[in-house]
Amino acid sequence: MPLNIDWQQILLHLLNFLILATGLTLLLYKPVKRFMKKREDEYAAREEGTQKALDDAKDKEREYEQKLSDADAEIAEMKKRAAEESEEVRSEKLRAAESEAKKIVDDARAKAKSEHDKIIEGVGDDIREMVDEMAGKVALSSSVDEAYESFLKAAEEGEKHEKK
Amino acid sequence: MTESKKKFSKKKIVAIVVWLLVFAALIVGIVLTDPLYEQEESVSEVMEDAVLHESNKADLFGMQVNPAVISGFVVTGILLVAAALIRIFAIPRFKRVPGKFQLVLETAVGWFDKLAKTNSPHRNSFLGAYIFAAGAYIFFGTLFELIGIPIMALSGASLSLPAPLSDINGAISLGCLSYIVILSGGVVSNGLRGVGRTLKDFSLPISMSFRLFGALLSGLLVTELVYYYLALSFVLPVVVGILFTLMHALIQTYVLVMLTSMFYGEVSEPHEKKQKVGKKAAKKDKEILANEVKI
Repeated sequence: MPLNIDWQQILLHLLNFLILATGLTLLLYKPVKRFMKKREDEYAAREEGTQKALDDAKDKEREYEQKLSDADAEIAEMKKRAAEESEEVRSEKLRAAESEAKKIVDDARAKAKSEHDKIIEGVGDDIREMVDEMAGKVALSSSVDEAYESFLKAAEEGEKHEKK
Repeated sequence: MTESKKKFSKKKIVAIVVWLLVFAALIVGIVLTDPLYEQEESVSEVMEDAVLHESNKADLFGMQVNPAVISGFVVTGILLVAAALIRIFAIPRFKRVPGKFQLVLETAVGWFDKLAKTNSPHRNSFLGAYIFAAGAYIFFGTLFELIGIPIMALSGASLSLPAPLSDINGAISLGCLSYIVILSGGVVSNGLRGVGRTLKDFSLPISMSFRLFGALLSGLLVTELVYYYLALSFVLPVVVGILFTLMHALIQTYVLVMLTSMFYGEVSEPHEKKQKVGKKAAKKDKEILANEVKI
């Protein structure tokens, strides 16, 4: 063969290389690759766990924020309701006080009127008695002027008596 | 202080003088003993033998083989023993944060694995293992010639073991095996279409084999030439060794594994069926277009 090409030696080289390739693959390439893959998977699992924990924490944060905002809204609602209730109670009390005051005033007025009527009624009887008395005296007196003077005097006395 | 300085300088001068005397004596010895050894072969014979290995055959289990075959088995033995020791003692002690040695191993395995995945994204587990083994064989096999293990040829001459792939038979075997690996990737992924794709590059095994052979042989020839002459045997082999052995070991490893993975990825890429446009569909498209124009 040209260039000293020898099929037997080619086959020997092939056999040699196949032994080497098999040995290196089994002893070195695959174990090292397996170790690297295992480590890569471990890191990937760790990263996944960390990411999951981070996501959970974010979800909880969002949940707490939501709860906080709900609580704020609830507090505001309660404040509003309390203010409305207190306003209602206040106006109710005001109305009651006003009606009571009106009642007191009306009672006082009614009482005063009845007192007034009573007094007036009492005074009328006195005046009637005085007029009757004066008319009697006038009828008995000689002159009209005297009778008039006596009437005025009797009236003044009646007023003083009323004031007392 | 001055006395100690004087003592130190005296010692230094004595050491330098002794070293120079030893160096001069060695050179004189080498030159004087040179006529005792006559060159058995001319430089052209040495070159021819380095290329063809016709005269200096070696014995392997009763078979007459080129010295490179023995080199191949020696390299395989060394690599397998090293791999077994690493598997037994180093790999079980691997840590999550790697040390220096673990980092070297992981980088090497990771580099070949990544190369396989990048060039052949669809099918790469076998390719990764293959190019790892081929890369290790080319790299350490080429560096192996730096050791220069001496053996006795059948002719009685003493010769040092060359790189396994500087033998054309070794280069042809690796080139053809790479081609078969590429072909197998095509067949497994695409069946007959994969065979067609691979056979399209029929010159690939020849180009891969002879590229490897030529590159490694050139380094060997230059080294043989340098070592043939006594005058060139000082200092120069260090530079030549680095330039023509270490560099082309790296370059040839890269070239072969890159070519193999690229062609493997190309032929193992799944075939995508093109959608056929029927006459009815074309007619419908035309009608829609005509309506749009009218509007």
